[in-house]
Amino acid sequence: MSDNVATAPLPAPKSRGLRLNFLLNLTLLGLLLLLCGALALGTENFATINNLSNLLRQGSIWAIMAIGQTFVIITAGIDLSAGAVVGVASTVVGLLMVHGVPVPLAVLATIGVGMAIGWCHGFGIVRMGLPPFIMTLASLTALRGIGLLLTGGQTLSGFPAEFGAFARGELLGIPNLFVAVIAVAVPCHLVLHHTRWGRYLYAVGSNREAARLSGVSINRVIYLAYIVSAGLSALAGVLTASRIGVGVATTGDGWELQAIASSVIGGASLFGAVGSVPGPLLGAMLLTTINNGANLLNINPFWQRIITGGLIVLIVYLDQLRRPKR
Amino acid sequence: MSDVTLPTKPADGGVDSLLELRGIEKRFTGTYALKGIDLDFAAGEIHAIAGENGAGKSTLIKLLTGAHAKSAGTMRWRGVEVEFKAPADALALGINAVHQEVVACPHLNVAANLFLGDETCRVGFLQKRVMIREGQRILDGLGFQIRADAMLGDLTIGQQQLVATARAAHRGTRFLIFDEPTGYLTRQETLQLFRLIRSLHDEGVTIVYISHRLEEIFELADRVSVLRDGRLVSTRRIADTSEAELIRDMVARSLDEMHYKREVPRGEVLVEIEGASGPGFEDVSMTVRRGEIVGLYGLVGAGRSEFVQCLFGRHRMTAGQVRWKGQKVMIRREADAIGRGIALVPESRRDQGLCLNLGVGFNLALPIYDRLSRGGLIDRRAERAAAARQMIDLRIVAAGQRVHAETLSGGNQQKIVVGKWLAHGAELFIFDEPTVGVDVGTKADIYHVFADLLTAGAGIILISSYLPEVYDLSDRLAVFRRGRVVAEHTHKAVGVETILTEAIGV
Repeated sequence: MSDNVATAPLPAPKSRGLRLNFLLNLTLLGLLLLLCGALALGTENFATINNLSNLLRQGSIWAIMAIGQTFVIITAGIDLSAGAVVGVASTVVGLLMVHGVPVPLAVLATIGVGMAIGWCHGFGIVRMGLPPFIMTLASLTALRGIGLLLTGGQTLSGFPAEFGAFARGELLGIPNLFVAVIAVAVPCHLVLHHTRWGRYLYAVGSNREAARLSGVSINRVIYLAYIVSAGLSALAGVLTASRIGVGVATTGDGWELQAIASSVIGGASLFGAVGSVPGPLLGAMLLTTINNGANLLNINPFWQRIITGGLIVLIVYLDQLRRPKR
Repeated sequence: MSDVTLPTKPADGGVDSLLELRGIEKRFTGTYALKGIDLDFAAGEIHAIAGENGAGKSTLIKLLTGAHAKSAGTMRWRGVEVEFKAPADALALGINAVHQEVVACPHLNVAANLFLGDETCRVGFLQKRVMIREGQRILDGLGFQIRADAMLGDLTIGQQQLVATARAAHRGTRFLIFDEPTGYLTRQETLQLFRLIRSLHDEGVTIVYISHRLEEIFELADRVSVLRDGRLVSTRRIADTSEAELIRDMVARSLDEMHYKREVPRGEVLVEIEGASGPGFEDVSMTVRRGEIVGLYGLVGAGRSEFVQCLFGRHRMTAGQVRWKGQKVMIRREADAIGRGIALVPESRRDQGLCLNLGVGFNLALPIYDRLSRGGLIDRRAERAAAARQMIDLRIVAAGQRVHAETLSGGNQQKIVVGKWLAHGAELFIFDEPTVGVDVGTKADIYHVFADLLTAGAGIILISSYLPEVYDLSDRLAVFRRGRVVAEHTHKAVGVETILTEAIGV
């Protein structure tokens, strides 16, 4: 019967999935450039060094969170606590520094705290069987309370000068914060596409049971995803504190939604197994540019939120149209 | 295809056609799923449709039920041209389908499912008790031993299928399509279903019956149409045809080795289980050697699956011991079993076997990524090579490694599940219902895979509810009943009837 069956697979064409992803990134990039072009022509202040580096700084922080969020989304989970982790991290790093802990140690310890929070999420999801939505929602609420308790609702300030200098500084003309994005994105991309843990993230998101029956340790994969997400959110919290020079427990309110939106605009699927690193990066930059542009155009901030919401629906809808229907 | 010329209309021409198809075509983005279909469904007949996977059977059903719109051709219902734009159009004429996969609400009770969309209400409030009483009457009338107030999700898949059938029948349907209805049914449930189909037939309902179990077609149908590659090959009266003829029509090649078996010398003992007990089974002993197939037969719930799940480390055994290649081992987790070289090819490829929306190559390499990594990074070339070897060895037909597993046919999907374990180097393969929902051609392919595995020195444990299959293929056959092995036979030592009797326990 071998004459009936093609004996060798055809030479592999570039996959549809990859091409789509690539296309999506191109469209996003195009959209971003178009928006920048329009804003540069339409407003006086957009194309100034000051504004652009400001934009990169804010976008960078969201991009870092969105990359972490993407890890979780690939496993078909969600991390609603990301914004609250930013708040806690900015108070923890502030408290440590105010109490005289050296800056590098304070930063590392804060990221460690973030990773511990991620571990707790993993524990709740894996060991206690809670849905990720519930676990991280509970965590979001509790972490806000912890942040306020730690500071007594006060604003922390008086950080060492070198701490604030980082966020304002530049490396070869590129804002340090954007350098931080690259330093996060490159290893994350490598993990996602060139290590077995990356493969396992996709496998768990695609079919948990099949992954488990293939010998993949699902629990470890889920721990990994949430630890990466919370760790990166903590980093975003540290960077925010450095940027604004104060530690406030309510920092990052609602940023989890920005992170999720960036990830989804960047092509990730909330059903799991679809997502990349460049996607959320561009998504975050696009959202920041929209906010920035709206500010420059003096659009009522209430309207900005409505526009952002509409755009998320539009972009994801366009993406749906492009995907082949089952 | 032109070598088969057969009448597509009943020879006498006097039969009333309920539904006539003329020149029906269905294109999906340029490729034909169906082409030039001329088919008549006579009022009150049982019309079977046979064909391999991908022959166009499911597309045809979707056109008949209005789930898809046809691309060309005409459909006439009682001589009047009709156009189905949505499922509601077909339902309005009394056309309904019972699908292989149960489409219902598992969290609602049986009665609620029976009357879904058609609830009994009084001033806007549901009459739950009335519906349960009425539902129970319907179920009892059909001879199904199912409680109307049970949660649908608590029933077996087979029972859920019966509920779906009862629902369709209760709707007073005039034209009922059964799509592979017996795939998950036990023998008793199949018999109940057949009784129901016959009684519907007696009431004058026209029935379209799709199955690749040819003996069922011969048991039930009046006429049978064969599809191949989206075209109608033949329509024959069941009395004038034979299984061999239908298979020839379906595959356009002779399948003289339907249950293909190659004699392979037995080798050393791979696994020896002694007095094993666990959830759902008790005191099971069994030996599997290299080069042999040990079949496990029993009714659903007899403990076969529970036993192999324990062997694979899914649950703990409460008693007994396992020797792997002569050494006593403890299998506590799946990883222990996988590490030894035990592979489980699960019953549901789609739910348990494959990452459907990921590539074929990805699926094939999934168990061995630890081996494909060097210094933490995956060696992409080795990954591709490993997957390519399995694709060639197993004749997996796909347009490349990046093609998503969900786009492949059932047989090719099954081969991927086997292939990933071959790549891993497994030596004992546990197949749980490997041929459910695959067509004859693919079945033969899977049997060839068995033969290749045996030749390569592997051992196989085969679970199947399809007696002819386990009977023909197994070197030894263990019969399970109520969690115990009640008999063990060597190849064809006793007849099929004996085995069935042992399994049912009459």
